[in-house]
Amino acid sequence: MSYKWLAALSCLFLLVLYACTNKESIHIDGSTTVLPIIAEVAEEFRSQYPDIRLIVNAGGSGVAVHQVGAGRVHIGMISRDLTEFEKASYPQADFVTHIIGRDAVIPAVSKYVYDAGVRQLSIDQLRAIYTGEITNWAEVGGPDRHILVIDKERSRGTRHVFMEVITGHPEAEAPGADLVLGANNELQTAIMQSNSAIGVLSWAWLNENVRGLAVITDDGEIIEPTKENIRNGQFPIIRNIELITNGQPSGIASDFIDFVLSEQGQKKVEDFGYARVDN
Amino acid sequence: MPALITDKVGKNYVLFSTLISAGVIFMILLMLLIYSWEAITQNGWQLFTTVWNPPAGQFGIASMLYGTVAVTVIAVALAVPIGLMSAIMISEILPGRYRVMVKSLLELLAGIPSIIYGLIGVAFFSLWIGNIFELDTGRTILTGGILLAIMILPIIITLSEDAIHNVPDIYREAAFGLGLYRHEVIFSTLLPIARADIAGAVLLGLGRAMGETMAVMLVIGSIDRIPSPVFNTLVPGQTITSKLGREITESAFGSVHFSSMIFMGLMLLIIVLGITLIAQRFIKLRSRLYE
Repeated sequence: MSYKWLAALSCLFLLVLYACTNKESIHIDGSTTVLPIIAEVAEEFRSQYPDIRLIVNAGGSGVAVHQVGAGRVHIGMISRDLTEFEKASYPQADFVTHIIGRDAVIPAVSKYVYDAGVRQLSIDQLRAIYTGEITNWAEVGGPDRHILVIDKERSRGTRHVFMEVITGHPEAEAPGADLVLGANNELQTAIMQSNSAIGVLSWAWLNENVRGLAVITDDGEIIEPTKENIRNGQFPIIRNIELITNGQPSGIASDFIDFVLSEQGQKKVEDFGYARVDN
Repeated sequence: MPALITDKVGKNYVLFSTLISAGVIFMILLMLLIYSWEAITQNGWQLFTTVWNPPAGQFGIASMLYGTVAVTVIAVALAVPIGLMSAIMISEILPGRYRVMVKSLLELLAGIPSIIYGLIGVAFFSLWIGNIFELDTGRTILTGGILLAIMILPIIITLSEDAIHNVPDIYREAAFGLGLYRHEVIFSTLLPIARADIAGAVLLGLGRAMGETMAVMLVIGSIDRIPSPVFNTLVPGQTITSKLGREITESAFGSVHFSSMIFMGLMLLIIVLGITLIAQRFIKLRSRLYE
């Protein structure tokens, strides 16, 4: 009896070993903003190269930089540019970035707030909300409700880009914040569950219950968060989405990046509401 | 002399196994100390302030300490009375044939992964708490505490049920023989005798509550802030584990940021160790009326 178990366990172990060694594998980690595209592209890539294992995770842009810098993953997905501090943290790493698309960071509010009349906010108003100077929706033309300000974890690319535009500093503090959440889906859920929330999301994560706001630029122009405005770069809070590698990619990693930049890959980028990069 | 050899081998095997277990705990403590040393020397007492701002080099863990203590107190305060009463019900009142069934079900509950509790917490509990107390957000310290209470309930029930059930029948018979009512038998005879083992059950639950990461992280709101007034738990907060869960991957290995995170882990271990030692001293875990 016990020998049977032992034999079964050994077989299982061997099977696991076999599975690990047989295929070449590529590890990808990083931004949840880039994840939907890469997950889909990876699906197509797998069907074309069935012998290759692609393992895609998403822990945020900051995580991607650390993981690539430390050599734990092959390709990082980031939804912002590398900071000087990050480059300095990994002096031995040679980060190479590959821009694969363009995205907007859009202030998103609960449906209730949107329906009550808040359709746009200026850069100044956004800053005041995140620094805690404005705490009630009535102050920006909405219902008389406390604003539930949702901040993101500090390493998140979305936050870097947003803070850079509204405060001029990518890692600025947000003393007005009530919650700190991480991934896009976590924010999306929290905004959906609330009647008075504001957060920042990528275009791809907006929906019926999580509505994107137009942004009023310093010139007084109201810019709607539409696909066209993101593509032509009109929307004021915009960023590149990039893949990073440690050194020039080679082998499968290089094939994969080329695949993302190919017509097929770029079509996926567009499908998800991001703007393609034209070569 | 094969008997002597097998005896020696057996003894060393047992000794070796014990050394491995003890070594693991020792290594963890040592690692935590080594890696938090940089934070301790660089920040000193600054570590116990309330401002956590890594880019500015401020690493105050007071908010996280507060959150950990708050959720644990809530969880234990809710789970211990319910757990103890359930244990009494299962052990002393329920007919014997149901006991095994109920206990297996509870043990099943103890095996549910914490992420499942977390998702249930986000999808339901936080919404209920938000609606009941009319809050902006249901992601509060209280929500975390209630969720933890549910998570440690099976542990407390099943272990304290064992404790009560293991009290030899002669004590029950003697107590009934004196003409005591059933509640007197339970509360004046069985519970005092099982006291040490029940305390062990509560300690294990408390340890799990303090160390739980995933479920708490999803429902607590993750903001490094001590509420004002301090006993207002209907606002978002942060525990040591939720902070670690959210931030450890984004701190560069070897930085003061990383070191301060490890220091929080060290504090958590020290708190759990401290509580266990104090409890052992006061409840005298080793003294039993029966063996």
